[in-house]
Amino acid sequence: MPNLTRRSLLKAGTSLAALMGLGPSAASALAQGLKQMAAGHAPVLWLQGQSCSGCSISLLNTERPGPLELLTGGTLSLKFHSTLSAATGHVAVDVVDTWIKAGGFILVAEGSIPAGMPEGCMFGGKPVGEQMLAAARKAQAVITVGTCASYGGIPGSAGNPTGAVSVVKFLHEQKVEAKIIRIPGCPAHPDWVVGTLAHVLTFGPPALDEDGRPQAFFGKMMHDNCPRRGDYERDHFAQYFGEDGCMYELGCSGPTTRADCAWRLWNGGTNSCIHAASPCIGCAWEGFAADPDVPMYGVSAQQKKRDAPPPSPLPLRRVM
Amino acid sequence: MATTIKIDPVTRIEGHLAVDVEVEAGKVVRAHSSGEMFRGFEVILAGRDPLDAQQITQRICGICPISHATAAVLALDQAFGIVPPDNGRLLRNLLLGANFIQSHLTHFYHLSALDFVDVKAVANYTGSDRVLQGVKAWVAEQVESRAIHPAAPLLPGYNGTYLSNSEGNMLVVRHYVDALSMRRLAHKMGALFGGRLPHASAIVPGGVTQDITATNVTACGSMLRELRRFIDRAYIPDVVAVGKAFGDYFALGAGCGNFLSYGVFPETADGAKRLLGCGVLHGGKRARFDPAKISEDVRYSRFAAPSGLHPTKGRTTPEPTKAGAYSWIKAPRYDGHVMEVGPLARIMVAYHAGNKAVRSLVDRTVADMGVKVGDMVSVMGRHAARAIECKLVADACVRWLAALRPGTPDARPKPPKRDKDGKPIRPDTPEALKPDRANRPTCTRFRIPERGAGVGLTEAPRGALGHWLTITDQKIAAYQCVVPTTWNCSPRDDKGRPGAVEQALVGTPIADPAHPLEAARVVRSFDPCLACAVH
Repeated sequence: MPNLTRRSLLKAGTSLAALMGLGPSAASALAQGLKQMAAGHAPVLWLQGQSCSGCSISLLNTERPGPLELLTGGTLSLKFHSTLSAATGHVAVDVVDTWIKAGGFILVAEGSIPAGMPEGCMFGGKPVGEQMLAAARKAQAVITVGTCASYGGIPGSAGNPTGAVSVVKFLHEQKVEAKIIRIPGCPAHPDWVVGTLAHVLTFGPPALDEDGRPQAFFGKMMHDNCPRRGDYERDHFAQYFGEDGCMYELGCSGPTTRADCAWRLWNGGTNSCIHAASPCIGCAWEGFAADPDVPMYGVSAQQKKRDAPPPSPLPLRRVM
Repeated sequence: MATTIKIDPVTRIEGHLAVDVEVEAGKVVRAHSSGEMFRGFEVILAGRDPLDAQQITQRICGICPISHATAAVLALDQAFGIVPPDNGRLLRNLLLGANFIQSHLTHFYHLSALDFVDVKAVANYTGSDRVLQGVKAWVAEQVESRAIHPAAPLLPGYNGTYLSNSEGNMLVVRHYVDALSMRRLAHKMGALFGGRLPHASAIVPGGVTQDITATNVTACGSMLRELRRFIDRAYIPDVVAVGKAFGDYFALGAGCGNFLSYGVFPETADGAKRLLGCGVLHGGKRARFDPAKISEDVRYSRFAAPSGLHPTKGRTTPEPTKAGAYSWIKAPRYDGHVMEVGPLARIMVAYHAGNKAVRSLVDRTVADMGVKVGDMVSVMGRHAARAIECKLVADACVRWLAALRPGTPDARPKPPKRDKDGKPIRPDTPEALKPDRANRPTCTRFRIPERGAGVGLTEAPRGALGHWLTITDQKIAAYQCVVPTTWNCSPRDDKGRPGAVEQALVGTPIADPAHPLEAARVVRSFDPCLACAVH
């Protein structure tokens, strides 16, 4: 690490603030954060809204670095996570409040916010939306993990009963200025989360697309990396689950979903949805589950097509 | 004069739970369990394509998604009138088995252990274990750096009495670290057949899409060996050690003493025989399970009446500011009674049914812990039951793996068959839908009916799980779930009877109201999952 005078830290904090699109007042919080980083303790506050915890469980599947190394290896310090923290009850509320007051942490948000029903998600007796706002205002960076936090996901689908929205939308509607990095996925792949955190802590924010997604992971369509792309090119299509062939007619969302899972594979290079002969359901796609009338598979549509009566033959010419 | 202590949030569970306990003369006299997060999956599913069910319901929970996928496809199988081929049934068992192993290991080590183990003591470790030396160095460096909340997330915690035996303490800390790798390995094992975990894509109505190869079978066998070794040599001994060190927790947290299990891991195509059987234990007496006796009250839950509906008629109409309601969790009751579900329920039901493997393991473990079978109905008993069940499931996975039959290279369902005149048979007629036994597929074809109904009853790591579905016009007309933690963390029912956790907390001694560690231990023994409970 370069010379760590207070002056140099403040200077670094100011440029990082500018990079993040944050105001000059963020500089000193960032300087404090950088000091922590220099000591290998970049503080991370992981807050959950309407979440299934799948993205957290997925994160724990990280291979290199493994979860222990992630937590104790000196890059970051997970100050609070509801699933892992020893802190319970008022001790937990205290930890979160202390950090929100201090600022200078990276906020990782998982799960959607019930914007239409604040009672729909509470923490320590307060709506989680309020907590997320307070934390985002003081964070040096905000990363939304998973499709729920990034795009609303299943809880945020049309007609949902809580008015659930993504954390991104919630913060924008509440006029919180924060440059947000979006890591969708249902769940998010641990490599995407760990890789993004590592980039932020070592080099600053990674190259993002127009949606704030790291281009390294979301730059290509699933279709671009699909192991069955050859079948697609040869018009060899699977008709039923479990068959060989391109699964486009089974409703595969590969052509519209930006993610690299078919190349990266899941669970430490073990398998992937496509490799397991199941179509991509577009879980990292911005519209995942959003429209109840858009099914995840094309199986019903194919069945309807097969059921449709064949076109009637041309009428016979009567020979008079 | 009672003091009310709030534990909000209860951490190291899944999701948002608040518990409050009223304490008189140092003991809990009354407790309330409040589910604090609602999404409305049952509303979200209505009107969707039936095949969305096993994908969407997995997102009810990230720790037990395979359980929901299983319940969903069982309901869909019934609605479609199909039966998976043997390979499909076995693969579903392996997938659910991997999920059970992952969930139980995570629960004991990463969710519960910090209630019993003193992480601060690692600062005094003088042994030669490299991992523990590493953790010690990290704690020391954290404290020295004067960071706010050093060694988070393992600290700070409640003050209280933790494991005093230094060696035993260190062993559990070491295994906490090892278990991080083990739970990841269990998921890796499941991904071999599920495509990925959590949220596996390969589970579909009719079976599992992943085909069986010598490679994935061998890899699974290798991972299973390592997992079973850890369960036998670390997990169970650790539970025994913690059980002996905290013996008074065999006399705490008994709860309602009624147990319900739908049975899980079908050993036959018709599901009649299961690894862990179906049954009801009411006041210690066995009763035959009747699914018609399930109902959900909502008087104290944030939902509009009517109360007491069976899930086939169930409704989910949220009322976030309903007077008198204190939880987003409904109150399921069986034949009007409060029930506990989960590993303890399954083990007790199996024990009373005379299951030899269960009896042998339970008898041995209680002897090792210096207690009796009756003492299993307790905080410590729940941890023990979970560990015993983990071993049973892992051992059964060996059998299921060995029974898989890889197909020939073209083992997947073939393109349209031809009739005796050579004309192609429409692919979805009964003739064409007959499973191709010679090729040993892993899933069978199906037709989505215009109308239909199905029920999927299975067991998640945390207990009895049911999905009830009806189809109209080829769409989901209604979908209701009653999930394990809905039973366990249920609020009072219409008659004012507290749920299982609420009852289990009564009688718990609280040494320091500012640090209700004892109450937290009782709650966590149930392995609550709130995303599941409310859904």
